[in-house]
Amino acid sequence: MSVRYAILGLLAQKPRHGYELRAAFEAVVGGDANWDVKPSQIYTTLERLEEAGLVERSSDLGEGDEPSRRVYAVTKSGHAALTEWFAQGVTPDHQRDEFFVKLMTALVSGEGKLDRIIQTQRAHLFQDLHAATSLRDSYNPRLEMAQILLLDKAVMHLEADLRWLDIAEMRLEEVKGQPLPEPEIRPRGRPHKVITDSVDPPKQTAVNRKK
Amino acid sequence: MSLIQTENLTKIYGSGETAVIALDHVGIQVKEGEFVAVMGPSGCGKSTLLHLLGGLDRPSEGGVSIDGTAIADMKDDDLTKLRRKRIGFVFQFYNLIPVLTAVENAALPVTLDGVKPAEARKRAAEWLQRFGLGDRLASRPDQLSGGQQQRVAVARALVAEPTLILADEPTGNLDTRSGDEIASLLRQVTKEYGRTVVMVTHDPRIAAYADRIIFLKDGKVVDETQLERKGAAEKISNKMKEIGD
Repeated sequence: MSVRYAILGLLAQKPRHGYELRAAFEAVVGGDANWDVKPSQIYTTLERLEEAGLVERSSDLGEGDEPSRRVYAVTKSGHAALTEWFAQGVTPDHQRDEFFVKLMTALVSGEGKLDRIIQTQRAHLFQDLHAATSLRDSYNPRLEMAQILLLDKAVMHLEADLRWLDIAEMRLEEVKGQPLPEPEIRPRGRPHKVITDSVDPPKQTAVNRKK
Repeated sequence: MSLIQTENLTKIYGSGETAVIALDHVGIQVKEGEFVAVMGPSGCGKSTLLHLLGGLDRPSEGGVSIDGTAIADMKDDDLTKLRRKRIGFVFQFYNLIPVLTAVENAALPVTLDGVKPAEARKRAAEWLQRFGLGDRLASRPDQLSGGQQQRVAVARALVAEPTLILADEPTGNLDTRSGDEIASLLRQVTKEYGRTVVMVTHDPRIAAYADRIIFLKDGKVVDETQLERKGAAEKISNKMKEIGD
């Protein structure tokens, strides 16, 4: 989704052809190590954007022996789509987390020591955080801003994960006394049809009694 | 060889039923040139540990040795001398003297130790220059940002050329970015200038700058983690890709 808008933005900057677009995208995200976009993805996205009327294509007749290339530019509705994208917040997906599943599995199965599992994870995250800060210190703030910004983000995420571990550890005592989550067993196949006619009429409440 | 070694280090405040065990038979070692963070919830004993390492307080039991010298039984005068020559302190609230300039503040420990003021200022100015404050030598603390004041405090801690720096929540009063800069500076103090740093912090982001973290809880060491891990940097850049997706 975001590649689509990044392409729109880069075309809003100036009309470009596919190859140039890919290079511009890589420059923006700080290299293909950060975010590798295949040429095919660029071309597919351009086709879809064209179908949706957000970009338009013109042919650039190559000079001399150069072949002609398709040059893309943003349309008026393309600009509008971009404006709308900038106007919206983004919700990241934090819920599918392998460590969370590990912790819950340990809790439910009784296998593994919970405090040890948390401390192991803590040590692991601290090592990642150490690597991230060292890496960040090694970049040049004038030339490698994309890398530094991404590492800032990684650092802050790791910090949040570490703080969450502290909270999880504190909650363990409360959680231990509670019944473990049990799955609700539902019958397989199509649910039984509920015959509404046989259901008792709704009880009279203060509100419908007034009527 | 270990620069710091503690054995059964114990500190009990009060006595009888109201006695509080702040440190409970702690045995740690810190190598020369190492950057160690001590972490734990408030009341875990981390500040007490730092005070005992710095000879600012005496243990109830057990001992501390700095560079092979047992400091627990030292006479007050000798301890003061050791502190002044071998140990530099960095505090949360910088503790700079408001009426002195940056260079005068940084020069203070050696000035008090009898070094001539001009020579003391020269040494202080060198450290301030290394820390990017060459153009703020004549500024008073209230003319400096929090991060700059703490850099002056780190320069002051180093001016007597001690081997050991003890830092108590050195980023506790700073915003995120200045805090990271100070942590990075302390890393530089170990890596570039070969000093040993022991830092107490409750901030995980700051602790991660160290080479090793000692986790304290209820006055006991519950875990130690070496932070250098092979392949961790690679993993981070892969993670960055994921964040990008």
